[in-house]
Amino acid sequence: MAEAAKSILVVEDEDNIALALEHLMRREGYQLTRVASGAEAMPAILRDRPDLVLLDVMLPEVSGYEICQSVRLDPELKGVKILMMTARGNQMERRKGLALGADGFISKPFDVADLKAEVRRILAGGG
Amino acid sequence: MYERLSLRLRVFLFFALVGLGGVAAIAAGIWLGYRRLGEPEALSAFVLAGAVAGFAVLGLTVWVWLLFDENVAKAIEGLSARLRAKAHADVAAGVDTERAKYLGDLAPAAAAVSDSLSETRGALAQAVQRETTRLAQEKARLEALLADVPEGVLLCSPEHLIVFYNGQAAELICRDHVPGLDRPVFDYLREAPIRHAYERLLAAGQGDAASDLLCATVEEGRVLSARMRLLRLPEEEGGYPGYVLTLRDVTAELAVHARRERLLEEIFDRVRRPAANLQTVIGAIGPEGGEALDAALAGEVKALTGAITELGARYDESRADWWPMSENRARDLADGIAARLASGGVAAEVEAERLLLRCDAFEIVALVSRLAVRLAGAGRGEGLMVAITAEPPGAAIGITWAGAPLPVAELEAWLEEPLEVGLADVTGRAVLRTHGTECWPEVSGERAGLLLPMRSARPAVAPPHPAPRSAIYDFELMSKARTAAVADRRLMDLTYVVFDTETTGLLPSQGDEIVQIAALRCVNGRRVEGEEFESLVNPGRNIPAAATAVHHVTNDMVANAPRIEEVGRRFHRFAAGAVLVAHNAPFDLEFLRRHEGGIGHRFDHPVLDTVLLSAVVFGSHETHTLDALSERLGIVIPEDARHTAMGDTLATTEAFLKLLPMLKAKGMETFGDIVAEVRKHSRLLMDLNQPNGSGS
Repeated sequence: MAEAAKSILVVEDEDNIALALEHLMRREGYQLTRVASGAEAMPAILRDRPDLVLLDVMLPEVSGYEICQSVRLDPELKGVKILMMTARGNQMERRKGLALGADGFISKPFDVADLKAEVRRILAGGG
Repeated sequence: MYERLSLRLRVFLFFALVGLGGVAAIAAGIWLGYRRLGEPEALSAFVLAGAVAGFAVLGLTVWVWLLFDENVAKAIEGLSARLRAKAHADVAAGVDTERAKYLGDLAPAAAAVSDSLSETRGALAQAVQRETTRLAQEKARLEALLADVPEGVLLCSPEHLIVFYNGQAAELICRDHVPGLDRPVFDYLREAPIRHAYERLLAAGQGDAASDLLCATVEEGRVLSARMRLLRLPEEEGGYPGYVLTLRDVTAELAVHARRERLLEEIFDRVRRPAANLQTVIGAIGPEGGEALDAALAGEVKALTGAITELGARYDESRADWWPMSENRARDLADGIAARLASGGVAAEVEAERLLLRCDAFEIVALVSRLAVRLAGAGRGEGLMVAITAEPPGAAIGITWAGAPLPVAELEAWLEEPLEVGLADVTGRAVLRTHGTECWPEVSGERAGLLLPMRSARPAVAPPHPAPRSAIYDFELMSKARTAAVADRRLMDLTYVVFDTETTGLLPSQGDEIVQIAALRCVNGRRVEGEEFESLVNPGRNIPAAATAVHHVTNDMVANAPRIEEVGRRFHRFAAGAVLVAHNAPFDLEFLRRHEGGIGHRFDHPVLDTVLLSAVVFGSHETHTLDALSERLGIVIPEDARHTAMGDTLATTEAFLKLLPMLKAKGMETFGDIVAEVRKHSRLLMDLNQPNGSGS
C-alpha cells in the first residue's frame, strides 16, 4: 500500500456517487476530501494541493473543463493530477478533456476495477 | 421498270441494242442478197462479208459505248453525285468540270448553279448567324442551369424512352457508363413503380399533379426517391403525355435510418433485461443473501453498465450521420468564412486543404466566423488564422492567434449564443451537437488556438469516371413516330451506333483479335455528344509491330485491359436497340461474332455499311475507302486520329450523317429501301441483313 499517503479530492455533485467513491478510495487507503460544486473546487485544490482530483465534467456553476484548464494554467499546481469523469464519454469529449490537460478520462458508468486501475496508473506517474 | 436501272446500265443496254440491231440488219441484208443471186457457191463469200461487217459494227458499237460510258455516263453520274453532295450534304467542294468536259455546257452550267447555291447559302447563313448566335447563347445558359440542378432530371416520352438527362441523373442511374437517349428508361430503373406512377397521374387527369415514388436502379439496386410530373405539350393535345422524373439517391439515408432503428431496438432489448434482472436480484437480497446473490447482483450490474456504455458510444458515433448533410469543399467553407470575417471587419488569414467535409456548410461557416469575430473582439485577433486541415478520418478546423489561450468558460458562453438573430435554437453548442463534435482551447508554443474537429472528411480528388455535367437531350424524340418493323422505319427515326475496331491483323480465322473498340451513338439524325464507347481490349496474344505501326496500340497498353468477353458485353449493352454502322462492317463484325459465345450475346443487329452506302450514292465505279469517302464529303480527319478506333469512328459517323440526306434525296426513305438498294452492290461487299431487311 505504497499510495496510502496519497490524497484525492473528489469534485462531484451527485451525493450517491460521491459516497461510493469516498468509500471505495478510502478502502484503497487514500485520503479523501470532497466538494460538491465547481465553485468550491479551485479553493479546495489551492488549499489542499491534492495528489489527484477526481473531477466530474458536468458540474453546476463551473464546469469540470474550466477547472481542469485553470489547474493546468497555474504553474503552482503542476503536481496535481486530474482524472475526469463524465456520463457522456464520447470520443470528442475525451479528446477535449485530454487537450485541456487531464491525465485520464473515464466514462460513467464505470467498472470499479477500471477506476481503481486508472487512479493507480495516474498516481504512479503515468499521466 | 427501266427508270430503276442505273444510267450506265441503261446506256449499255442502248448500245447493246444498237450493236445487235446492226448485226441483225447486216445478216438480213446478206441473206436477202444471197437469195436474189441464187448462186450457192457464193454463200461463203456472203458469210465472210457478213461476218466482217458484223464484227465491224459490233466493234464500232463497243468502242463508241466505251467512249460514251467513260465520258458521258460516268461523267453524268459523277456530276449528279457532286451536285447531290452539294445540295444535301452541304459539301464545300465545287463541281469537277474537267471530268465532264465532253458534256458540253452541262458541266459549266452545273458549276454555275453550284456556285450560285454556295453564294445563296452563304448569304442566308450570314443572315441566320446572328440570330443563331443569340439563340445558342440562351441555349448554353439554359443547358448550364439544367446541368447544375442538384437532382437528377430525366425527361421521358410517352413510350418511356429517354429524351433528356442531366449529369446527375446519368451518375444516379448508371455509374460506370452513360445512359442513352431514345432508350427505354426501364433499362436503368425498375419498371413497376414508374408505370404505376404514370398510370396514377394519367388517371388523376390533373395537369400539374406530381407523384412521389421510390424506385431502384436495375444495375446496382440503388434506392432513389423520385417525383414524376406529366408534361403536356400544347402540340400534343389528345395524345399521351411524356413526363419529367427528378431523382435523389436515398440509399444512404435509408441505411442510416435502418441502423438507427436497429440501435434503438437493441438498446431497449439489452437494457431492459439486465434492469429487470437487477430488480429481481435486489429484491431477493436479504440477511441470508450470501455470496451467490452478491455475485448475481454484480453480474447484472456489470452487464447493464457495459450495455449502456457501449450503446451510448455507438449512439454518439452515429448521431452525426442522422442529419442530412452533404459533402462540402473545405475551400468553399474557407471562402465563406473569409467573406464573413471581412464583412465583420476582422482581419484573418483563412486557408484550407483540398478536402471534402461532410457537414452543414452554413452552420459551420456561421460558427467558425462567429468564434473568430468573438476572439478578435476579446483581444485575441493578433495573427488570427483559420485553417482547415486533414485529420483522418476527419478534418480539423483550427482558429489560432498569437497570445494567451481562451478560458473555457468564455468559450462555453460564446457557444450558448444564437448564431443568427431570430434563430434562438441555432447556437454554437447546437451546431457542435448536430455534427457530433466538440470545440476546445489549445496551446501550441507562442500561439493559442481553438480546435474544432470534424468527424468525416476525405481528399477532394477527381472521381475516376467524371460525371458528365452537361445536359443531354433531343426534344424531337418526344413526338417521333415509331413503328415496330425496322425495315419500315424511316432512316431518320432509327438509332444508330457507329463503331470501329482495331485488330492484331486482318485474319480472324487465323487468330487475329480485336485490340480496341470505339463507338458513337446517333439519334434523330444527329450524333449524341457524350454518348460514346471506347475501350482497349487485351487480345490474349502478341500485337505484331506492323499492326502497332498502323493503330499505335502497343502490347503494354493492352496488358491490363479487359478481355473481349467483358468489353464485348459492355459494347453490346451500348448498342442495344440500335442499327450498327461501320465502314466495311463484315470485317469488324466477324471479329465480334467469333466471340459471341463468351460474350453471351449475339450481334444480330440490323447493319448498315458506309462502303455500300457510298456505292449507292456515288456509284460503284468510285473508290470507297474511308479516306476517299471523307474527301468527297469534305470531312477532315486529323492525321494523328486516322486509324485509331475513335478517329475512324468519328470520320465514319460524319460520313454516315452526310450520306443519310443524300440517300433520302435519291428516294430511299426507309431502312428497307436502303437494304434493297445496297444489295445491288453485293459484288463490293456482302450485305449482313436478313432477306426481310431486318437484322442478321
